Amino acid sequence: MIKIVSGLSVPVGSTVALVNLCNQFNDRGHNCVLYGPDKWHLDKCRAAAIFDFHPENGDIVIVHNIKLFSSAELYKLPEKIEQLRQQTRLGSLKDMIFKSVPRPREHAGIKLILSCQENDLFPIRQLRYALFDKIHFADFSQASYHRIAQDHFICPNFSNRLITSERKPDRIAGVIGSIRKKNQIELSVENAFADGMESVIIYGYLSDPIYYYSRIQPLAKKYPGRIRYAGFIDDRQKMYDSISDVYRAVAKSWSLIRRECRLTNTRYHGPDPSKGGSMTDDQIFAVWKDQLGL
Amino acid sequence: MKNFEDDFYRLLHLLKTGEPFAFNRFSDGELYMLQNKEVILGDHMVKIGDRVEKGPYHEEDFKRFHPEEHAFYRDRLIDAFRFTKNNYFKGLSCRCCVGEENFSWQLEFHGEYDENFTWANLLVNGNYPKFIREMYPVFNDYKTVFICNRKNDLSVMPFVVKDFRVGYNAMVNDYGLIEVIKNWIDENKVEGHLFLFSASAFSKMAIYQLYEHCDRNTYMDVGTTLNPFMNMRLDRTYLKSFWLGAKGEDLKKICIW
Repeated sequence: MIKIVSGLSVPVGSTVALVNLCNQFNDRGHNCVLYGPDKWHLDKCRAAAIFDFHPENGDIVIVHNIKLFSSAELYKLPEKIEQLRQQTRLGSLKDMIFKSVPRPREHAGIKLILSCQENDLFPIRQLRYALFDKIHFADFSQASYHRIAQDHFICPNFSNRLITSERKPDRIAGVIGSIRKKNQIELSVENAFADGMESVIIYGYLSDPIYYYSRIQPLAKKYPGRIRYAGFIDDRQKMYDSISDVYRAVAKSWSLIRRECRLTNTRYHGPDPSKGGSMTDDQIFAVWKDQLGL
Repeated sequence: MKNFEDDFYRLLHLLKTGEPFAFNRFSDGELYMLQNKEVILGDHMVKIGDRVEKGPYHEEDFKRFHPEEHAFYRDRLIDAFRFTKNNYFKGLSCRCCVGEENFSWQLEFHGEYDENFTWANLLVNGNYPKFIREMYPVFNDYKTVFICNRKNDLSVMPFVVKDFRVGYNAMVNDYGLIEVIKNWIDENKVEGHLFLFSASAFSKMAIYQLYEHCDRNTYMDVGTTLNPFMNMRLDRTYLKSFWLGAKGEDLKKICIW
């Protein structure tokens, strides 16, 4: 069985990618369950709570966003994730020490894959990556960023199923992405207004409310009545149907947004670091099938 | 055993599946009115019965309940408190917030135990981050009607299609608005809408009467939870902790039954 286990399952881009991956496996006849500590994922695919995760002989376990230092930790993930969520400076120091202590591989019979969906948010060098049989990167740039000597493969995330709707609004911008400083939401909003957009709708999970209140809320006063906050909405088609343009200020080559804009005929404004053409779902699946030995 | 988080997800599930419900909250202010004590929320002061304390209140919060003068409104509040119907959820003040004696008083005053009892604080304290991150986005699935103070700015919320405004001490001064909303629902055949209330004790009477009148809409008392989106002050400690990072334990608080 394929078990995907993530250190977070709130509605952000990486969780959406894992939900899509899980659905693709199941749709193509390979049993797969996504486990996570939050609740958002539970009704999006074949999913379960993190407490229900029990690795078994013969499993393929795809790990995301969990700093593993030993195979033993795989068998007590709820406690591990709770620890990581309450991470302190002292905890980080302990991690550094644990990382350097040699540990045996204790997960014989389990194929262990690390799926990397981040750069700075999840520095692979800070964990014991040698535990993993392979590392999955969603884009070439991630492999360059992390620069680790470990067997890896590069495969983009599956697309969301989207279409171009007959009716699109005019000059309504969408700023899409988790609300946190790194994503420079405020810059995207300013760029949209500088381009003559009438209003801006912000779509994204509120990762950092303090950032929202200090940087976005003042813009709502600067542009009264023209900024709206929707949060992360599950229905991406509805989201794209509500906007004419998308503004982004940061470059994430593995993000699906550029591709989704093409599918929905939504104008994209922002960095476009992607190289080459995009792969079809069948091509993406073929890579996974090959790498996991399905 | 009732669970603070499970009850939150119960309402979230109803909201996501489009099953209409009402969530009414009877917090400490309403508790004191039900107990027929004089309540005055004034400029930075609170009077409960004979007890006078400092309070975080401003003009839009001003409230005055005098047991003899406002007996009619207390009776309507009791109606709302004792009303039972499928999917009519009543949030009570919990023992960890108002003490054992007041908590027990509510249950006794109510009479028969209602399976739809829940916490008045269900959307705040330890559930507030989930409310903002998981429930607020679901409001986008609804045509939403907001009932709030006339000072509130609703422009940040993309889902609001209609609003009704109240002033200070709305329970008394704007009581007639309930009938106006009922007529609006009837005349426009409003069904499947979400009604959000941030209008203090007025909300309690309105939610009960509107759900009794038309249970094909959802009615929720959101209190002060959306203040940051309405250009209002963050004068509650849970708001300060979440939005400003102020120190405090409110966001870790899991209320008990």
